[in-house]
Amino acid sequence: MNDFRVLNTRAPRVDAAAKATGQAKYADDFKMPGMLYAAILQSPVAHARILHIDTSKAKKLAGVENVVTSKEAGLIRYGVSPARYDETIFAHDKVRYVGDEIAAVAATSMEIAQEALSLIKVDYEEIPAVFDMFEATKDGAPQIHDEFPGNINAEVHQEFGDTEAALKSCDLVVDHTFLNKRQDAAFIEPHSCVAVFDHAGKLTLYTSTQVPHYVMRTVAMTLQIPVGNVRVIKPYVGGGFGPKCEATPLEMSCGLLSKITGKPVKMTYSREQVFLHSRARHQFYAEMSLGVMNDGTMVALKNKAVLDGGAYTSFGIATVYYSGSLLGGPYKLKAMKYDGHRAYTNKPACGAQRGHGGVAHRACFEQLIDMTAEKIGMDPVEMRLKNIMTAGDMTVNELDMSSLGMKECIEAIREGSDWNNKKGKLPKGKGIGMACGFFVSGAGYPIYRSDTYHSTVVIKMSEDGGVANLLTGSAEIGQGSDTAMAMIAAETLGIPLENVRVYSGDTDYSVDLGAYSSRQTLMTGHATKEAAEDLRDKIAGFLAEEMNVEKSGITFVDGIVKFDDAPGNFEKIRTSYIKEHRGWTDQPSGEFLTFREAARLAFLKGGTLVGTGKYKPHRLGGSYKGAAVGTSPAYGCSAQIVEVSVDLETGQITVDKMTDAHDCGLAINKMSVEGQMQGSLSMGLGECLFEEVKFDSRGRVLNPSLGEYKIPTALDMPNVRSIIVESNEPNGPYGAKEVGEGAIMPTIPAILNAIYDATGVRINELPVTSEKLFMALVEKNRIV
Amino acid sequence: MLLPNFEYIEPTTLEEALRLLSDMGGNARVIAGGTDLLVRMKLKIEKPSQLISLRKVPGLNQVIKRETHGVSIGPAVTAADLARNEFIRDKFAPLATAAGKLGAPVIRNRATIGGNLVNGRPAADFPPACMVFDAILKLKSATNEREILVGEFFRGPGETIIEPNELLVGIFMETPAPWTGGSYIKLGARKALEISMVNVAVMLTLQEPLGPIVDVKIALGAVAPTPVRAFAAEQYLMGRHPSEKVFSEAGAIGVGMCHPITDHRGTMEYRCLMIETLTSRALNLAYQNALAWKP
Repeated sequence: MNDFRVLNTRAPRVDAAAKATGQAKYADDFKMPGMLYAAILQSPVAHARILHIDTSKAKKLAGVENVVTSKEAGLIRYGVSPARYDETIFAHDKVRYVGDEIAAVAATSMEIAQEALSLIKVDYEEIPAVFDMFEATKDGAPQIHDEFPGNINAEVHQEFGDTEAALKSCDLVVDHTFLNKRQDAAFIEPHSCVAVFDHAGKLTLYTSTQVPHYVMRTVAMTLQIPVGNVRVIKPYVGGGFGPKCEATPLEMSCGLLSKITGKPVKMTYSREQVFLHSRARHQFYAEMSLGVMNDGTMVALKNKAVLDGGAYTSFGIATVYYSGSLLGGPYKLKAMKYDGHRAYTNKPACGAQRGHGGVAHRACFEQLIDMTAEKIGMDPVEMRLKNIMTAGDMTVNELDMSSLGMKECIEAIREGSDWNNKKGKLPKGKGIGMACGFFVSGAGYPIYRSDTYHSTVVIKMSEDGGVANLLTGSAEIGQGSDTAMAMIAAETLGIPLENVRVYSGDTDYSVDLGAYSSRQTLMTGHATKEAAEDLRDKIAGFLAEEMNVEKSGITFVDGIVKFDDAPGNFEKIRTSYIKEHRGWTDQPSGEFLTFREAARLAFLKGGTLVGTGKYKPHRLGGSYKGAAVGTSPAYGCSAQIVEVSVDLETGQITVDKMTDAHDCGLAINKMSVEGQMQGSLSMGLGECLFEEVKFDSRGRVLNPSLGEYKIPTALDMPNVRSIIVESNEPNGPYGAKEVGEGAIMPTIPAILNAIYDATGVRINELPVTSEKLFMALVEKNRIV
Repeated sequence: MLLPNFEYIEPTTLEEALRLLSDMGGNARVIAGGTDLLVRMKLKIEKPSQLISLRKVPGLNQVIKRETHGVSIGPAVTAADLARNEFIRDKFAPLATAAGKLGAPVIRNRATIGGNLVNGRPAADFPPACMVFDAILKLKSATNEREILVGEFFRGPGETIIEPNELLVGIFMETPAPWTGGSYIKLGARKALEISMVNVAVMLTLQEPLGPIVDVKIALGAVAPTPVRAFAAEQYLMGRHPSEKVFSEAGAIGVGMCHPITDHRGTMEYRCLMIETLTSRALNLAYQNALAWKP
């Protein structure tokens, strides 16, 4: 048990009422006087030279205020990582996928903007396109970017230890391959943005993003506005999951059009445009060999990856590193070799999505462990426990597991699912499977090379002493970070949660790299804690001076102040506070001085009270090329057991039950942790069983709607037993670390291992549709 | 996505609605729930100049138990209403089941049986369920009126015999004989919000609880350009005593009636195999329900 008053509870979200009642404003809810509506013209063909663009007719249409192309926008290159800036706001020489942006229109209504798009005439000279990641790197394939011959966007070769020698020394080497499909994050709120360029030359963007800070930098760079004159405000956001981790054509077009017209400009993507913009999960091909000893000891892992990147880099250079680095744990290995490359294809660019780069390769690896366990006659749970890392272990690729409740997670699900009484004892058609995984708790380095703080936080007391206003640039995107920060501030200040108010998602409030790589609880949490400590210290200082006591004896808890655990002689402070507030009905009372009185005293003595905090990780990782990707101050981990029923006559799969354990360090808010765990399971289940962005032979998305792109419905989700495992993370604020992405890691392989248990069929390509499984069953029966 | 411009008209009588349909020619579309039409309009697949709403036309959204033997269902009755109607659930179970499997709750609250039929989609939920009851569709125009068997209504994907000036005004079904049971099975990827890969409806009547099959109808969707009856399988079953073996044989015969396509939802090969499996399952289920028949 611990002594926390606010942390580690199931506090309701601070934004619950606003969201439940519809008061919460999202980007598309914003309306401003004189606001224009913008729309983007996107390429209807996958690969073509642009011969000529004629916007004259569109410009003449009544109600059209402006039309911009690369001529107006310029050709400044941008991207996510400065190592691969390969995009311009608008295509100028050629288009590289169906959806590539060519022009944008601002008009007095959405209808007129749409009509204007149809009046822009573009002459294309179509050239051969390539849509398959294996075809793309073959000799003679159409070249998508001149600077990247062979369509190799990025390649990684890493080896730790002597893998070939280690594999030779093994009793058994098992191989496996795996192919997932391009996914869409299917967030509820499509991208939306309002840009306001004012008379002072300042651009304000209200935009649905996970990363206000990065959007600010990219937009300032591409639109050539001093970065100090760009302010990005993130209103409420209806989900991100990764694809909203970068500046979008929508933000840059709106910014440019507002700069030119001097009016606010708004644009919202249709669902189809969300699919065309993509930046979601790549398609990955994985090829692995695992070497073990007969007693189940894992020795060496050889891992190959091919990624279908689409037409641009987006996050891809990090993605292709993650596919290798995130297999370094949670099992002890003596050697590991990784060779991966990311291919350009004429499809929408892929980027980061929940479990960035790690999900498909984790699925392959965890299946491989089960295959190996079967061959040596070992229980899959036992085999994992035999090789598990514990706190203090360093992976072969130098990731520091400063805390790791992996063993506890495995034991918790084994017990929680009654594994021992089920494994090998279920009737035909029923199966049980397990898997593990781990993930970073915040990327160890920013996307651009910098010594910047990853997070700063300001807490400003109200002058009456009643409310702590927390200002942060961090991004609440539905995951609950505002609530987590409010709880950390309340705990640290020793006041009730309702006395903290969070203002977030604004680049003018503080520096924060945003909601990606599961970083905010740890990193923004640290800065929040430090800011609260700073503020608390200032108040204690003024109090000590006034009361003539030692500062070190002053404590704040539950909104009251204690002096060496006693009430102290605070009569004078109370009397003057009451005099100041004569006639008010909420006068302080009780045997202890209240925090409000103390903070008021501090204001009277020192003026507006501000506490500040900051955080950046200590130096992390090895010195090899690419060592930065995968580093983190801490790692969350999880284990899952899935039970399925398979209809052997149709191949239909029903996931009956999931038991999930996640080590998130200290659970700041238990309800939020469970929410993230269950959300991860749902997303993993969807990717495993249903989801696939499909293309026709000309590179057009066949299913760009939530009707035809199938994410799990409530009826497809089983009951979930969520078990929170709490290690104490030395590098986390109050011992806390991630849960947002790590929880998805085991889901796909746990389902696949359960399907194998039920049917004896090993599926190595997603999604496992009823047809795919049924046909595999037919094939197996034919052979048997 | 924006809707194209159109004129929206709300007639308050059936006569007015029919007259409007006549006057507007082919440019008008009738709107009931709009769950399909509005999506198609947003996608610019359809651009009607007028929408004639049935919202204020009285009498089209009722399920009426007829004094003679049977039921009359208004075209504007929603899937949600049909799914929870006690009489339909009792005597026309495949129809109630199909209604309950259409889309998701919010769609079922708006989508109507009439809309689902006149859309003529090969994978729609209601057509097979109506076909096993030999439903009669009443079509009306300003000057004419005709009745047609549901089995003759569908012409091809998205095509039916309804004329632009005609409105589907009623769906009539005879209450099945004693010892009848029915079933409806739908195969899709998810457990809700699905367009069928294969769907099958069955109505099966026994002479008496342990007697032979005296009437049986099998209808399949998503397996041909229109929903189809598996007549050969029905003929095979007539007069036979129910058994798993007989039902699985009927399933195999049922496949012969079908010409499924390969599309992004599933291949022809898999669909054919599933027709066999699901037909035999649906027959088994209908048989169990027939045994449990109550007056």
